[in-house]
Amino acid sequence: MESLGLLAEGFQGALTPMNMLWVLVGCLLGTAVGVLPGLGSSMAVALLLPMTFALDPTAAFIMFAGVYFGGLFGDSTMGILMNTPGQGSAIASTFEGHKMALAGRAPQALATAAIGAFIGGMTASVVVVFLAPRLAELSALFGPQEFFALALFAFVATSSVVADSAIKGLASLIIGLAIATVGIDAMTGVERFTLGAPQIFDGISLITVTVAILALGEVLHVASRIKRDREGEQINASGRPFLKRAELKEAAPAWARGTAIGLPFGVIPVGGSEVPTFMAYDVERRLDRRRKDPQFGKGAIRGLAAPEAAGNATTGTAMGALLALGLPVSSTAAIMLAAFQQYGLQPGPLLFERAPDLVWALLASFFVAMVVLLILNLPFAPLWSKLLLIPKPYLYAGITVFCGLGVYATSGRIFDLLLLLGLALLGFLMRRHGVPLAPLMIGMVLGPLAESSLRDALLSSDGDWSVLVSGPIPLVLYGVLLLIILLTVRSKVVNRMRRDV
Amino acid sequence: MSSASTQGASEAPWAEPSGPTADPPRPTDTEQRRSGGGFWAGRSGLVVPAVLAALSTYLVYGMVTMPVGEDTDFPGPRFYPMLLAIVGYLLALLLVLEILRKPEHPEQDEVEYRFYSDWKAVAWLVGGFLIFAVGIEFLGWIVAGALLFWCVARGVGSKRPIFDLSLALVFSSLIYLGFAVGLGLNLPSGLLGGL
Repeated sequence: MESLGLLAEGFQGALTPMNMLWVLVGCLLGTAVGVLPGLGSSMAVALLLPMTFALDPTAAFIMFAGVYFGGLFGDSTMGILMNTPGQGSAIASTFEGHKMALAGRAPQALATAAIGAFIGGMTASVVVVFLAPRLAELSALFGPQEFFALALFAFVATSSVVADSAIKGLASLIIGLAIATVGIDAMTGVERFTLGAPQIFDGISLITVTVAILALGEVLHVASRIKRDREGEQINASGRPFLKRAELKEAAPAWARGTAIGLPFGVIPVGGSEVPTFMAYDVERRLDRRRKDPQFGKGAIRGLAAPEAAGNATTGTAMGALLALGLPVSSTAAIMLAAFQQYGLQPGPLLFERAPDLVWALLASFFVAMVVLLILNLPFAPLWSKLLLIPKPYLYAGITVFCGLGVYATSGRIFDLLLLLGLALLGFLMRRHGVPLAPLMIGMVLGPLAESSLRDALLSSDGDWSVLVSGPIPLVLYGVLLLIILLTVRSKVVNRMRRDV
Repeated sequence: MSSASTQGASEAPWAEPSGPTADPPRPTDTEQRRSGGGFWAGRSGLVVPAVLAALSTYLVYGMVTMPVGEDTDFPGPRFYPMLLAIVGYLLALLLVLEILRKPEHPEQDEVEYRFYSDWKAVAWLVGGFLIFAVGIEFLGWIVAGALLFWCVARGVGSKRPIFDLSLALVFSSLIYLGFAVGLGLNLPSGLLGGL
């Protein structure tokens, strides 16, 4: 019960007026970008990353957590009302959610989504409070070969499972890893791939890459299509967004099942909450088919409740994995890891020892953020959809100016602005050709760890490669990785066969 | 977007959700419609392996010119980039084969465009950002930022250039006030600083 005591202290740290303000700012911002189509929480966190140098770490992470969770609360709103999910994690909720809205139950759909996200997030936060310290203790046993196995696990799982083409996912990963090698080699002091440009002796700034790939590149992509893609029509959601007792009873088991499905995915790096949300949706659909009166296709409340709960449950435990292992499972988590590095903090076992105030205040802020988000979203969801009234040109113009501001403010150099533009073009090309961006971000953030642990392991073994598979932890990790790959291949083959028939 | 979501229901839950490009190619109907496009139709994706190969080549060039001491132990600074370059070339090759075998046609619009992307809009954005980047120190934040805002708004489809200009100036001035004066960020005042 040591965790509870520490959590109580964390609440004391988190519940200062200033920190509450940052929670609120984060939640408002996260919900806003979640609601706006085409924007996701990763873009919001990317744009906020340069702000880190102006804030103290606790405030910054509390805000980031608010944005991360808020993005998930908000993105289903537009999915339900307009059939335009903001990011991958909202697609599964959109199917039945939009049908509910079409059937005149938009307020109920929004309420189901908000409550589901709340339940999933809350449960995950409780799990993290008790599990994260244990995970951190486990990772204290990690040596170089274990860290290398962990990094490789994250690389292969994110790039092969999420992307529809594993080759494209791996290509994105390699680009990220290669960008991360630029700069002075930490182990030997040799200058690598700098062409003698002093601006990149310290490596290419993570902030520049993040803003370029996830914010400016995204704006370029939107601009390239905005006059050509038709807009969806928005369904009016007036009415009381409260659920009747019967609806609550109907949705409750789905919320519970969704949460249970979502929880383990926070520690499995398969690219965030897309996979669990679809799994939760699929489970509900199968269960629904067995009922006397199948609801799927007509706006089933369960088909919306389960994925929403799963999405936020995954996000919650993902934060646990990030704090305890330093393992980012999605691009938003990768940016948060980058933010930790900006402050000179390394998530993992040492974080819990060296910065317990920060960790526990952050964990406590999850609970606060959940409550704030429920309040922001349950009664006010229809109000949020008014954000769509902002004219698109000004929205994207504003975002672009913020990209420039963030990078110039942190680097103070024209060089970084040009680099930002170049990398944004790369991000745009990748988006245009269906290459996923999350592997690039994860490669960029974890690349240095992978390289140093690989070289450390090989140096200590005098070049004997078998060191990489010695010990139980790497073996378990490689085993799980193999299992994930086999399952992915199987599901892809099954899908192809179904399509052919 | 809508078709991406309806398809997702029946097939791979792992399908990349983002936009029309993520749709699996359906060669039968699109190939007929695009028969006039020539070799490059659906094969513009070759730019991805090209970037990857160029990057790997840069890594190789860097490795060759890297000043490494004779006494460095086995996994030296060249070792890991070498792995990356090998994998990079391999993936580039696989991507080329994949795209040659199965051209990728993005979802068709009702109106036929020569290119899938609206390059004019992209050019406004890139051009605007280039001017902003190069000119920020000379023009100062307020002017450069306003120019960037105006170019992007224009590129994304705003039809009110005069109104946009005033809005852009208000926006960049507000940022200057908030961040440079308020938070103490170092934003250049440029031209206006001398007034």
